[in-house]
Amino acid sequence: MKKTFSVNLGNRVYSIDDDAYMKLKEYLDRIEGYFSDQKEREDIINDIEMRISELFTEYLGSNKQVITLNDVEEVIKVMGDPREISGAEEQSQATHERHSGTRRIYRDPDNRMIGGVCGGLGAYLGIDPVIVRILFILFLIFGIGFLVYIILWIVVPEARTTAQKLEMRGDSVNVSNIGSFVKDEFESVKKSFRRNKN
Amino acid sequence: MDFENVKAQMRKGVLEFCILSILSKGDAYATDLLNNLKESELIVVEGTLYPLLTRQKNAGLLSYRWEESTQGPPRKYYALTDKGREVLKESEASWRELIESVDSILKK
Repeated sequence: MKKTFSVNLGNRVYSIDDDAYMKLKEYLDRIEGYFSDQKEREDIINDIEMRISELFTEYLGSNKQVITLNDVEEVIKVMGDPREISGAEEQSQATHERHSGTRRIYRDPDNRMIGGVCGGLGAYLGIDPVIVRILFILFLIFGIGFLVYIILWIVVPEARTTAQKLEMRGDSVNVSNIGSFVKDEFESVKKSFRRNKN
Repeated sequence: MDFENVKAQMRKGVLEFCILSILSKGDAYATDLLNNLKESELIVVEGTLYPLLTRQKNAGLLSYRWEESTQGPPRKYYALTDKGREVLKESEASWRELIESVDSILKK
């Protein structure tokens, strides 16, 4: 017996086994990690989801109501490796390579209390965000902290893509780093998912 | 340099041109394009098409509209814009030039 999820792909609802769901989610996240431009990324992911939705419809019939791991593996074979999909984007990858190793300030959406400002500063400075938060609270007592926080919240961009998250930590943006980072994230999602289930 | 890679690079070079060319014969959605390109063995994995389409759309060469489908999710139909038609004409000219140049060397 397997647990299933229902997912919305291209405005259609599919029942999907939990292992198949995990695999598909990881696949789409990996593709996402390769595109840095937000508008472009949304378009591409949307189009790919549409196509996957169409393929799922083809696989399903009156005797088959659930998308299985096999189906997802088939879809991945048809759509291709994320690296290959982004192959046309070699140029933007190359420009990223040039920035490799340099840190940039982002707000950290994975490590946030309010806007992710302290989490991002902590990652940038390489110190524990808790220390940054304590310093900020001290600032607050002296009056200007609140304003500074709001300004930083507005000015500092959020690290949305995997590439930006790597940049925030000062890691170079290359294929193997993106791969391992996405895998880490995937594992942590899996863990928290298990925790919630129990 | 391995030959497979050379072949892949060649294919990639003409892919954008072929997309415009297919669309000049009538509007199509991604799967129509894929079937066409797969038949001519120009595309191996489907995913490579989508970044190209998005980039051509953002460059103003293509426009799109949504159409409902009875069998599956709604379809995004692409059409050539005036700018797309112009670029296609230019690409066609340079394609012919390229064939001639290569031929002239091959026949030497």
